[in-house]
Amino acid sequence: MPKGPQKGSNSAGGGEEEFNLEQMEKETEEMLKLRYLDDSNAVFERTQGGFVSVRIKEEFYPRVQVIRMFPFSDPEKYISIRTPDEHSKEIGVIEDMKQISKETRKMLEEQLNLRYFTPIITKIINIKDEYGYAYFDVVTDRGACRFTINVGGHAVVHLSETRILISDIDENRFEIPDVTKLSARELKLLDLFL
Amino acid sequence: MILKFDLSNENLALLALPSDEELCYAVPFDVDENGAFIDNSYVAVTRKRIFVLQQGALKQVYKLADCQKIASEPQIDCGLFLITTKGEEWVAARFSGKHLSRFSYVARGCMMLLAGKHSLVSSDEYEKICPKCHRALPGTRECPYCTKKGGGFIREFFSLIGPYKKQLAVILFFMLLAATITLLGPEIQKHLVDDVLLNRKGTLSEALSFLGILFVLSIGILIVNIIKAYLSSKLGSTLSRDLRAKLYHKIQILSLSFINDRRPGELMNRVVRDTARIKEFMQDVFCNMFTVFVVFVCDMVYMLMLDVKLALISFLFIPVVILAATSFRGKIHRLFHRQWQKSDDVNSSLQDVISGMSVVKSYGKEESETQHFNELADAYAAINRRNEVFWAIFYPIFSFAIGVGVYFITYLGGIRVLNGEKTPGQLLQFINYTSMLYMYLNWLTNLPRQLMNLINSVERINDVMSQEPRIVNREEATDLAIQGAVEFRHATFGYKSYKPVLEDINLSVKPGEMIGLVGASGTGKSTMINLIMHLYELDDGELLIDGKDIRDIRLENFHSQIGVVLQETFLFSGTILNNIKFAKPDATYEEVIRATKMANAHDFICRTPDGYNTYVGERGYNLSGGERQRIAIARAILNEPKLLILDEATASLDTESEYLIQKALERLTEGRTTFAIAHRLSTLKDADRLVVIDGHSIAEIGTHNELMEAQGIYYKLVTAQLEMQKVE
Repeated sequence: MPKGPQKGSNSAGGGEEEFNLEQMEKETEEMLKLRYLDDSNAVFERTQGGFVSVRIKEEFYPRVQVIRMFPFSDPEKYISIRTPDEHSKEIGVIEDMKQISKETRKMLEEQLNLRYFTPIITKIINIKDEYGYAYFDVVTDRGACRFTINVGGHAVVHLSETRILISDIDENRFEIPDVTKLSARELKLLDLFL
Repeated sequence: MILKFDLSNENLALLALPSDEELCYAVPFDVDENGAFIDNSYVAVTRKRIFVLQQGALKQVYKLADCQKIASEPQIDCGLFLITTKGEEWVAARFSGKHLSRFSYVARGCMMLLAGKHSLVSSDEYEKICPKCHRALPGTRECPYCTKKGGGFIREFFSLIGPYKKQLAVILFFMLLAATITLLGPEIQKHLVDDVLLNRKGTLSEALSFLGILFVLSIGILIVNIIKAYLSSKLGSTLSRDLRAKLYHKIQILSLSFINDRRPGELMNRVVRDTARIKEFMQDVFCNMFTVFVVFVCDMVYMLMLDVKLALISFLFIPVVILAATSFRGKIHRLFHRQWQKSDDVNSSLQDVISGMSVVKSYGKEESETQHFNELADAYAAINRRNEVFWAIFYPIFSFAIGVGVYFITYLGGIRVLNGEKTPGQLLQFINYTSMLYMYLNWLTNLPRQLMNLINSVERINDVMSQEPRIVNREEATDLAIQGAVEFRHATFGYKSYKPVLEDINLSVKPGEMIGLVGASGTGKSTMINLIMHLYELDDGELLIDGKDIRDIRLENFHSQIGVVLQETFLFSGTILNNIKFAKPDATYEEVIRATKMANAHDFICRTPDGYNTYVGERGYNLSGGERQRIAIARAILNEPKLLILDEATASLDTESEYLIQKALERLTEGRTTFAIAHRLSTLKDADRLVVIDGHSIAEIGTHNELMEAQGIYYKLVTAQLEMQKVE
């Protein structure tokens, strides 16, 4: 069983493994399982390079990928811990970040911050609309920022009536959690794109 | 795409490079370890070291010799630059989506330096933002603002319309005529009022004759305008047709890589929408442009001549008019943009439900879908109503704002008439000139936007026109009657320079040999075939056909001697006959029938209602996948190709048609050099040799039996497929 993670590390060997129907059926069967991880069965540790490793009984994964299953509707729940290779397999799931120890939670949150980068717009300084492109000058939770969107395209997506995501021409995304909380001036600037 | 940014002197001082260590790459990153935006931060690479400069400080230096792996890893809306030293993977830098592809190139470049290669990677991708003025580039290499300052654009536009000098001259003449007549109107009105109507100086016949002149003038301007509009539309249409033809031709000769680098709709937009924009500009804007300019200038001069003081006062209102016009237009644009978006919502929801009707019905969701649709329709109706109300209320106010100067002039002028300093006719004339001035001013304020649209369209068109096709006939290229020998020598190729698909391929194929290409998907089988078809050119190494470099064979000549059957058979809109004759338009009926018989296609074609004249393609007669495939095979046979390429030609077919096609292919491959890709390995049992591609290069070569004995990758693939068949 601990063969699993090693396979990913020498990636050239896609075809080197003997084809085995039993093995494959076992793997498909495993994919069906929803294995929950918590402090009792998994030990997470920081790596030197800035990632996180996990040990689950005799399995050891030197680096894991931490992803949100519901990044918009429930970013704190159902966190999938996966292998970082191309075929990214699920190692286990953390049902709720609140149910794990503070230390582990902090570690995993660092990983989530490393993976997700959707700045939240806190203030709109100006939006200049010029011939098909709009130039945004904003302040976000990640600092001041300028970005450009394509006016004709579908740059603004409504996650709900009041929550929007704006994609710029580099495919970065910016979130406004509640448009009604913007000032009248900011709303007027944004009006054309809503 | 820029991979070597200019570093400031401070940053260069931090690197302290010795004179023999040259910078290879320098790219910015914009996110720090805490996830905050930063500037003035770079990853700089030389042949010996990788530097990380963060906000004016040297944060980290990696010796290239210590590195095992350098990679750029995309995350969600950002990316990481990872360096592995001594078995540990480090996050060296973090960046937003802005620099994602830049770092992919650089990571690949670093890996190449690591492997001791001397060549550097470069990128043909365009920047998205102009590095100089920070405006978005409209999908072009050059920034229309920075390169077209001053006369540049006007020159370009005139070079575009240059070949139509005669038509232009005629249009110009009518434009001037229109201007003259427009300016003449108020002058005649003045005479009518002052010389005829006032104090009953004139007779009825005089009054009628003036009215007659006015009548003739208005008829005249009508006719001139019609002719002018007709000529401009004609010129616009001719111009856009010629441009479209030029563009279409250019796109045809450009290499596939240029087309594949762009989104599918983009080139179509350039051919259709951008040329249409030029046409619209010619007929809506250009045809009035000179008239408006001339009238505007003459109008101002006239007004000054008639009454300097009054003229200057009316000029004072020009800013008011400009302000009113631009803000009103902005508001209208906003309102109707919203309305348009809402109507878009309604349409797409409608389309969703209608195309997914069976799902809606089978889950019994009619009620909730109806309600959802009603909500959207209500929102649209509400916004529509609001806009109409706005229009009804504010348009008169806007007209008033535009005309407020006229009221003022009427008042001031009226006083002068009462004082006897001016005749009523002169006042009328002046008022007419004033309203004309404001009216044309309103028109002029809209010009910049329209000009910018035009500039962007012209720029996008020129961007395609200035592309040089990467695969062209060499000067010394000649025709060659192909025998069928194909040889790869140290061939290396990648669609993007940072990502090689095939590396150091060596393969020699004898004439008439059938080669089966085997490997997992994405390993480069189709790429190899693309190279043989000369749709792309090797980055490194050689590809020889009958011992001659493929680039020395004339393209048209080469392509006329190869036959291709692909998995996705593309049939053009047209008859079956035309589709078969595509490669050889002068084929006789008999040749066509022989080809279709060989391809097992003759019988089903005879069963269609219109036989060989049956219309196929989009909206045409519905052919099954197997039938389309057999037509494609007939198309390939008809050409009598010496080189045959079969890319998954029998995939996704039912057993019967597969059998028929299998038989057809057996006949087809006889005596021809054939390269075949097939997922189902049993299809390749007749191949003389099998080539297994794995990890960008050839892993195994041999006959079926040899490879089975060797028990390598091929053996595993075959046993895997046999096992799967048992399960079925």
